[in-house]
Amino acid sequence: MTQALQALTTILIGLGACVGYFFLSNRLVDVIWPPRGPNAGRNINRANMIRPWLFLFPALFALGLYLGYPVFETLRLSLLERVPGGGYEWVGLENYIRMAGEPKFWEAMRNNMLWLLVVPAASTAFGLLTAQLTDSIRWGRIAQMLIFMPMAISFVGAAVIWKLVYDARPIDQDQIGILNAVVVGLGGEPQTWLTVPFWNNFFLMLVLVWIQTGFATVILSAALRGIPEETVEAAIVDGANPFQIFFKIKVPQISTTILVVWTTITIVVLKIFDIVYAMTNGQWQTQVLANYMFDKLFVANDWGVGSASAIVIMVLVLPILVWNVRNARKEME
Amino acid sequence: MGHNKTPAAMPEITLASRGMVDGPSGPKPTKRLSRRNIMIYGILIVVSLYYLVPLYVMIVTSLKGMPEIRLGNIFAPPVEITFEPWVKAWAEACTGLNCDGLSRGFWNSVRITIPSVLASIAIASVNGYALANWRFKGADIFFTILIFGAFIPYQVMLYPIVIMLREIGLYGTLWGLVIVHTIFGMPILTLLFRNYFTSLPEELFKAARVDGAGFWGIYFRIMLPMSLPIFVVAMILQVTGIWNDFLFGVVYTKPEVYPMTVQLNNIVNSTQGVKEYNVNMAATLLTGLVPLAIYFVSGKLFVRGIAAGAVKG
Repeated sequence: MTQALQALTTILIGLGACVGYFFLSNRLVDVIWPPRGPNAGRNINRANMIRPWLFLFPALFALGLYLGYPVFETLRLSLLERVPGGGYEWVGLENYIRMAGEPKFWEAMRNNMLWLLVVPAASTAFGLLTAQLTDSIRWGRIAQMLIFMPMAISFVGAAVIWKLVYDARPIDQDQIGILNAVVVGLGGEPQTWLTVPFWNNFFLMLVLVWIQTGFATVILSAALRGIPEETVEAAIVDGANPFQIFFKIKVPQISTTILVVWTTITIVVLKIFDIVYAMTNGQWQTQVLANYMFDKLFVANDWGVGSASAIVIMVLVLPILVWNVRNARKEME
Repeated sequence: MGHNKTPAAMPEITLASRGMVDGPSGPKPTKRLSRRNIMIYGILIVVSLYYLVPLYVMIVTSLKGMPEIRLGNIFAPPVEITFEPWVKAWAEACTGLNCDGLSRGFWNSVRITIPSVLASIAIASVNGYALANWRFKGADIFFTILIFGAFIPYQVMLYPIVIMLREIGLYGTLWGLVIVHTIFGMPILTLLFRNYFTSLPEELFKAARVDGAGFWGIYFRIMLPMSLPIFVVAMILQVTGIWNDFLFGVVYTKPEVYPMTVQLNNIVNSTQGVKEYNVNMAATLLTGLVPLAIYFVSGKLFVRGIAAGAVKG
């Protein structure tokens, strides 16, 4: 209870500070440019020009400090090296070269590309499939709700659940892991799934597909429902079969939405960290870039290479980032 | 994406009402199991196995005792329902030397989530309002900065922020994490609010100005009462985002103030002793309880909140 009370106090203090700042700065503008007297009109206009900036200032300051500056700092750090005895030294691209010499980095790059090929495609395809199927049956809404549920729990939570799926015990014992229980039930040999090189990547990907399908389903289902019924009816009259209706009439009409879902999941994939960290921590050749970066920065304390790999992630995300920014600007103008 | 839609989900309402007016009439056709239906149901069953079996096994396992789990039969419902794993996960599970369970992480998460959600929403709604309604010089640049801020991957900023927090003495503390969450939530929230406020009729704003209402008068008397849904969406986006965050938690805090997700991971990955599947599953459920509760209460709005936040860095 004391903790709840403590939390409440801190909230009140924080809110009070915000309100106080807004109130006082507002007052200040009114005092300096009073909206009355001989210059009232000019003063009001001037105050109205300044006022928004006053209110935006804290946000702008914080954003600049915590979002703008760190990006450049990371770039700078990736070009520096710590000199024995303190201080930094400019080393140019040496960190990048060192990184390129590490097999673990290339393993991470390869795996990220695999993730990139599989997860967005699989999630979008499953999402499209379930969106279409759940639209045409009665308890479809409930099915959608359940499929969306993994979106609500954390990636770490999902990783823990899937660790149980892939859990393995010695052959002479009863299997507890779901997958092994099924395999043994069908007469097969239990496997330690997460240690099988190459294929274990796909077992990890299944976790993210499991999470992201709900997202794809919900968005695509809304898009499917937005298709004008006349187009579908016309196709039926023309004698199209269900597959033709789906692929030739419906999918082309929601292609923009499909693209948006695809790219959104692509960004998630490029930064994937929690699942790999919690399930294998990059062992058994499952390393990915974000986890590699985390290893370098916070385990190996090598911030040069760590920052360099952060820049690599940034560069990989950049094309989609720019595309997203342009889209957002276009839509919001 | 979700954050640029008009407030109400219009298409659905119109579709439904159209069905009422000139929908099909006559007796309901009898159902039959055509080949197509069998295929649909077949696919759905396979798909739902993939999606639901893990969830089902998680719940069942969390209610079993360890002796029962060791016998195998993971799909069977518990012979004897026990809440002991839940109690243990909440109050006794060990992470390192701490053996007071997830409760500590829960309260940490509460203390992290509430202030950062309130602060980011308060600031972002004012910013969104200023951007949408008070066209001022430089608004465009600010807007572009916001979009970049919303989409840029967090990884790029991770380490310099560690240095900054260390310098102001907040590294490893709860407040450091609160600041980080507040600021990182702001771009996407500001865009969300800006879009919503832009979609409101401008005449309202103009009329209020003619009547002599000031910046705050319009915000509190006109904008706030009309934007309850967007506040709920923003709240959902932030609460679930911050509650489920792992990366910031593990980077910016120390063991005493670990949020729940980090503690969950530590409990599950602690190498000492036997693997307690039931405790792990109960701990996962406990960690997911807050977002799941919000999900089941808010339904549609939850989906909007998640969709709006899906694009953020």
